[in-house]
Amino acid sequence: MDVGQMQRQWLDYTRSLFIEGFLDNQFLQLQQLQDENNPEFVVEVVSLFFDDSERLLKDLNFALDQQGVDFKKVDAHVHQLKGSSSSIGAQRVKNACIAFRNFCEEQNVEACLRCLQQVKQEYCLVKNKLETLFRLEQQIVAAGGSIPMMELGF
Amino acid sequence: MATTKFRHVFGGLWGFATSCKKNSSTPIGSRILQRDVEKEEFQYASILCLSKYYSVFVVRLAIMVMLAILIGLLTILTWHFTKIYTTKSLNSLAYDLRYELLQRPILRMWNILNSTSEITMAQVKLSQYVIRSHGNLTTQENQVEQMYEAMRAVTWALFASRKALNSITVKYNNGFVQAFHRDLKDNNTFYIYSDLANYSIGASASSYNSDINYSSLSSQESWNDHDNKSAVWYRQPLDPVTGEKIGKAMQIAPEDSIHIAGLSQVPDGVASWRVVVSKFTDSPLLSAALPVWDASNKSIVAVVGVTTALYSVGQLMKELVELHSGHMYLTSLEGYLLATSTDVPLLTNSTKPPKLKMAVDCENEVIRLGAEYLKKSSGNKFPPSHEVHVANVRLGHDRYYIDSFFLNLKRLPMVGVIIIPRKHILGQEDKRAFKTLVILISASMCIIVIGWVCILILTNGVSKEMKLRAELISQLEARRKAEASSNYKSQFLANMSHELRTPMAAIIGLLDILMSDDCLTNEQCATVTQIRKCSTALLRLLNNILDLSKVESGKLVLEDAEFDLGRELEGLVDMFSVQCMNHSVETVLDLSDDMPKLVRGDSARVVQIFANLINNSIKFTPSGHIILRGWFENPNPCSDNANHLMEEKNLQCAQKTRTRQHENHAKRTSKRDNKAILWFEVDDTGCGIDPSKWDSVFESFEQADPSTTRLHGGTGLGLCIVRSLVNKMGGEIKVVKKEGPGTLMRLYLRLDTAGDATEQHCLVDIANNGLVVLLALHGNMGRSITSKWLQKNGVFTMEASEWNGLTQILRELFHTRNSAGINNDFDLHYPIHESLKSKLLSIQEIKNPVFVIAVDIGLLDLSTDIWKEQLNFLHRYVGRAKFIWVLNHDTSNTIKMELRRKGYMMTVNKPLYKAKIVHILEEVVKERNHEMQKKNMDELHESDYTHCDAASSDDSDISESGPCNPVKSEKVEQFHRLSLYRINNCLIGLTDEHSEANNTPKKEELCQNNQNSPKSLSLEQDYFPREAHQGEDSESRGKEEHRIIGGSARPVNGKKSLEGLRILLAEDTPVIQRVATIMLEKMGASVVAVGDGQAAVDALNGLLGVEDFRRDSNLNERNTRSSSSQTEILSFPSYDLVLMDCQMPKMDGYEATKAIRKSEVGSGVHIPIVALTAHAMSCDEAKCLEVGMDAYLTKPIDFKLMESTILSLTRRTIS
Repeated sequence: MDVGQMQRQWLDYTRSLFIEGFLDNQFLQLQQLQDENNPEFVVEVVSLFFDDSERLLKDLNFALDQQGVDFKKVDAHVHQLKGSSSSIGAQRVKNACIAFRNFCEEQNVEACLRCLQQVKQEYCLVKNKLETLFRLEQQIVAAGGSIPMMELGF
Repeated sequence: MATTKFRHVFGGLWGFATSCKKNSSTPIGSRILQRDVEKEEFQYASILCLSKYYSVFVVRLAIMVMLAILIGLLTILTWHFTKIYTTKSLNSLAYDLRYELLQRPILRMWNILNSTSEITMAQVKLSQYVIRSHGNLTTQENQVEQMYEAMRAVTWALFASRKALNSITVKYNNGFVQAFHRDLKDNNTFYIYSDLANYSIGASASSYNSDINYSSLSSQESWNDHDNKSAVWYRQPLDPVTGEKIGKAMQIAPEDSIHIAGLSQVPDGVASWRVVVSKFTDSPLLSAALPVWDASNKSIVAVVGVTTALYSVGQLMKELVELHSGHMYLTSLEGYLLATSTDVPLLTNSTKPPKLKMAVDCENEVIRLGAEYLKKSSGNKFPPSHEVHVANVRLGHDRYYIDSFFLNLKRLPMVGVIIIPRKHILGQEDKRAFKTLVILISASMCIIVIGWVCILILTNGVSKEMKLRAELISQLEARRKAEASSNYKSQFLANMSHELRTPMAAIIGLLDILMSDDCLTNEQCATVTQIRKCSTALLRLLNNILDLSKVESGKLVLEDAEFDLGRELEGLVDMFSVQCMNHSVETVLDLSDDMPKLVRGDSARVVQIFANLINNSIKFTPSGHIILRGWFENPNPCSDNANHLMEEKNLQCAQKTRTRQHENHAKRTSKRDNKAILWFEVDDTGCGIDPSKWDSVFESFEQADPSTTRLHGGTGLGLCIVRSLVNKMGGEIKVVKKEGPGTLMRLYLRLDTAGDATEQHCLVDIANNGLVVLLALHGNMGRSITSKWLQKNGVFTMEASEWNGLTQILRELFHTRNSAGINNDFDLHYPIHESLKSKLLSIQEIKNPVFVIAVDIGLLDLSTDIWKEQLNFLHRYVGRAKFIWVLNHDTSNTIKMELRRKGYMMTVNKPLYKAKIVHILEEVVKERNHEMQKKNMDELHESDYTHCDAASSDDSDISESGPCNPVKSEKVEQFHRLSLYRINNCLIGLTDEHSEANNTPKKEELCQNNQNSPKSLSLEQDYFPREAHQGEDSESRGKEEHRIIGGSARPVNGKKSLEGLRILLAEDTPVIQRVATIMLEKMGASVVAVGDGQAAVDALNGLLGVEDFRRDSNLNERNTRSSSSQTEILSFPSYDLVLMDCQMPKMDGYEATKAIRKSEVGSGVHIPIVALTAHAMSCDEAKCLEVGMDAYLTKPIDFKLMESTILSLTRRTIS
């Protein structure tokens, strides 16, 4: 495939991610932080996010499965998840987390479980999207091209 | 009339009602005045009340008026119907009556008239016959006489046949008169005749004949003239029945006594009627006259006149109306009275001849008035066939009925009038009607009054209800307010406890720091530990205040975690003993041996329960003791221990068993889910609780004696919390009857035992070591309980409660043993008890006894310097017995120093509970074993190193710290280690410097010695993997740090905004940590990232470096701990700024900041701390700034904002 075509594809894909609300400005900031010193910075951080989130989701699953749900714990987990997701700009995960925390305060187990499912779903979605994005990037780099800079007027 | 009456009545009612209203409104008014004084908040309610009152009164009034109207209408209707209908029917009846009454005299009149006319006719006919039969003989003298005779006889016959006749007269045309007259008054009958001699028949006949064609007037005139001139009349009385002449004929003047009908009265030759008045009678007479024609019907031979007295009509009328006491009269058309029912004269006597009176001139007043009325009403012209029926005429003083009837007789029309007093007919009825009215009105008044009373009563109920409702409303309002205020209160409490918690957490954190400091002496350490415990308790209390609302609303969720119940309770008793000692109260913990060591539950709540209970007890116990007993109720009570315990407890309180039996069902239920029932008692010797209050003390804000609030303070919430917590844990609490003074609270809790590890203590092993314990303690209760327990566990004990007792026992123990009878004189002073003797004897039987003497420092005389001598005295026994010094928390340092100087290593703080004793005894046994070992070692010189027990590897701490003793795997060895562990960890204040100091080097030595032994290798391996594991945990972090350092070391091109700054980043989320690190590095700063607050604090204190770089070195080259790296770390410059995440594990940002600020106090350093938080709320910002942070950044981190914030802060600090 032509490099230019791939770059265009990449741009389109990224733009769609922004338009669909999966990502926000924070992700742009991350991208801007990436330089020759940290060439894999975004991927690194995002994979950190994936690991962290998977652990947190597992913990949440476990915490909510228990007889007496410890909402403080759940809340702390969700808080962490919210923090990390907002740091990489996974906007929709963050929003789901915000809703989740509200239910945590209400100590509503059912709603929490519902929210957990939602968060999981959002997480899977954003994970798939980002993985696709990174694959594209890898392809571009492999083809000898460079990642175009996003100039999005958000 | 009725309406006016009604109006009057209604007016009266209205007046009454208004007066009622006035009466009832006055108290309301006064109430208003009262309420004006009252508080404003009640005004609304009172206004509501007033309006309610008014509405009630209006309604009441309306109902009353309606009732009155209703009853009034009913009354009037009733009265009307009874009265009017009766009146009507009576009137018609009365009319009939009157008509009937009037009809009869008229009929009589008619009859009279009829009979008069009949008689007249008969007389005329008979006269005609007689005259005609004698007509031919008129000339003959005798025949004329015969004719007269015959006429007389005929006339008599007729006259006699009619008794009512007044007279019959026959006047012949020759002037001869024949007449029969009946005087009705004296019932005399007369025959009146004229003198025959003066009359010639012939002459008369001739004249008669000649005058046949005369006009009646002329003949009449001639007759009259004739009659008047020369008539000689005789009157002869007759027998009224037979007609026989009974008297001499007397000459009377013509027309003197009788009216003789003459020709003048028959002017046209037809019968005539008229009413005449005779001077002989006082009543008017009805006279009829008929002419007697001759045979040829051409001339009148004679005139027959018949008069009938109207007297009988009057009589009849009198009879008729007499019954009705009325009046009746007949008048002619012109108004002359013909007959009345009264006896008044009908003729005027004043004139001659008497004339008929007019009715209006009648002497009878009633008649006169009636006549006048009639005349007035119908005028003078009395119309024919006009009948008057008036029902209600006022004549004089009375009311009368007046009815008139017109009787139209030919030539004699008459009017009959009847006047009947109304009283007679309707009198009763009128009276009755009046009475009925009165009765009705009074009855209705009664009903109205009763109705009003009823209404008043009923509406009174309503108004009362309204009052109550209004009160209820105000109560509800007040309750709402109270609830609101209580809400405020709890909110306030929550806020306050939050505010209190924060510094408490700081205190605890600082204490932790202090405790981690190595340079503390053991006493200091113990004190700090105590402080930390108390602080923790305080924090717990604060938390509990927060949770109180939760408890009460039932939202409390109990934790379910494993905890060491015994240790918690010991800590609790430790805590309270400090408090108790000031009260000279002994705190004793008496837990049975079968208590499960580990239970699952909410340790904080359990401790809270007992803390509250003991606190309560302390409050009310000025002296004596407080015992916290605990025993385990095994669901399957087959274990010997439990039975043993039960037997023992039976002695103490028999009812316990009973309760236990009562709780059998609970036991059964608890079997299912592995729950143990733990019984506890808190027994004090305080003032006690009145039995009537036993239940109510558990209510909130309830105290047994309200005055205690003044004395002891407190809110009365403690027991309430306790009860709710106990209930929450599936237990019950109650106050139980107790012998002696004080309170005994008994409760049981249902707690999960951790598995079935009802850890059997190794106490059994203390026994059979030949231990003899001398307890020289102050507190009776604690001493006896300890001694009992020790004896039960096979340890020989003796007790002494004071110095003298102690010395005596010591003397007995050691002096009698060594050299009997040295101090016999002393024995004389203090004779030994029999029991003590027997004990001593039994001690002597023990082989190789170890004496342990626990001496309460309080037994020494501390007020003076005597205690030093006493100490010296005791020091003499030091070789023969182990001394354990039981110290108070306030024991002065000089004593402690003195003790230490003398080489006493075993000191223990009060209270002396089981765990401590166990540790001490274990220590003693261990030491002894050591000594024995040493001996053995010396003897053997040869040691076979065997593996440690499998048991020892159970506890990693032991394996870590415990030495691999070159001893056979004996129990003694186990003790040794256990005790070591305990001493290190239990914080009982047991100072064992000596042994520790001895042991540590020994341990190292041993380890080094055993380098090549397989066991030690395994230990090493055991040790390193743990480190490695730790490292793995934070491997990524470590890597990062490594790289960071590398990054910072790398030369950077160009001017970066944050060039040269060292920033400490405390953030637990790896993503954010990474992002922030890169961001900061981009700006040129060098970053050190840590994972939690504690690490941050440590890093700032220079501790982090050690740890981190040790880890680094572990990662890089595990084996070599390069001192160079350590020094490098130690020489690390301080940080320029801290980025602190707020929510972190272990220690959050707030706590960390506080800790940092705390440590800065006094040093003059102020490191800028920037908060990183995801809480995008202003209150969080406030909180951040409050704990001492300088700035505030929200997540996700904004590159520029962070830069500017950091720059502003660092510049400030630089400048």
